[in-house]
Amino acid sequence: MVYKDLGERDYATGDTIVREGEMGTEMFIIQEGKVVVTKRIGDTDVFLATLERGDFFGEMSLLESVPRTATVRALTPSRLVAVRAGELLMKIRRDPTFAFEMLQRMSSRVRQLNDQVVQLMQMDQVTREELEKLSLRTEFPERKAHE
Amino acid sequence: MITDLREDRLLITSDIHLGAFSCQAGGPFTRFFEFACANGFNICINGDGIDVLHTTLGHITRDVSRVLGNLQPMLRSQTRIYYVIGNHDIILEHFLSDWGSLRLVPFLNVSSGDLRIRVEHGHLYDPFFMKHPDLQSALTRFMGIFLRMKPNWYSWTNTFRKIRYRKPEAAQSQRDKHGRLTIPGQNSAFIQAADELARRGFDYVVMGHTHAPGTFDLSGGKKYVNTGSWFHHPHYVKIENGTLELKLWNG
Repeated sequence: MVYKDLGERDYATGDTIVREGEMGTEMFIIQEGKVVVTKRIGDTDVFLATLERGDFFGEMSLLESVPRTATVRALTPSRLVAVRAGELLMKIRRDPTFAFEMLQRMSSRVRQLNDQVVQLMQMDQVTREELEKLSLRTEFPERKAHE
Repeated sequence: MITDLREDRLLITSDIHLGAFSCQAGGPFTRFFEFACANGFNICINGDGIDVLHTTLGHITRDVSRVLGNLQPMLRSQTRIYYVIGNHDIILEHFLSDWGSLRLVPFLNVSSGDLRIRVEHGHLYDPFFMKHPDLQSALTRFMGIFLRMKPNWYSWTNTFRKIRYRKPEAAQSQRDKHGRLTIPGQNSAFIQAADELARRGFDYVVMGHTHAPGTFDLSGGKKYVNTGSWFHHPHYVKIENGTLELKLWNG
């Protein structure tokens, strides 16, 4: 990783930019390149998203002072702009539509998460119904045969 | 509200000020619109397309309805119109949404080929507007009353601009009186704002508002482009399959 002026940092392909579980106080805006976001579940790295220029990540740690919830690696040579906690308000003052775009994207992510929750609940419902049918067949095979 | 889009053929212009007492752009803008429709371009009006500050309800109704009447046959075509809100039409912020082929937005992030282009009117970076938005609005309205009495005032300022900057073509960067590089006729704050925006991964930042057309090389090979106004030497940006150029409208 190479530090440049004005919070700009260059990463080579495969470099880890943020690591899940570590504390961090910066968010990143992708100026050039692509990054991949993964989350560790058990022993597996689960793919969450690919982000490209114009996208941002790391805002949860910056806004809520919580450990990183995912790992982000450079998928191609990438240049990122790091925004530290103390710089965010100044960034918004200089670039007010950035706040609007942050809200827009976070709103979009919440909507996608809601959709996924609904899908999971529907899947769960189907699974439960299937299990109930199976258990009925197992418990009352004769009755099922009569019916 | 969708502000991110991909466009292969898009024309961007700004500051037409339809409805303003001193606006003479109705005819040329209708021809510009015809040109866009005939050549399969979508259109982006980057702020101050209509002017609700330098006018009266009666005047704006007559002026805009006449232009809309001319545009009506073309409005039925497939041409999509993006309208970015400026400061002279800021009341339209209440209507930010998609209205069929018309989309009202606060800004646009346009992708074309490998280019990413930011389109924004630019009033948010006007130092005076940022410090005193109410005062600026009041002064602009006062100016409207003045222009009602002296509608030629803008043409006097245009003559001054023509003498000062001479060429009808868009200007290249020059140093201002403080020694900072900028486009002649505009505050360097817009350049700083464009630089800040470009750092978010844009190749071009296109603005209006200053009525000073020109291009400026930002750091990292990015560019700032201003489309000026329709009061004198109207300019537009032509985006075509991943290329962008600032052009003078002679129609």
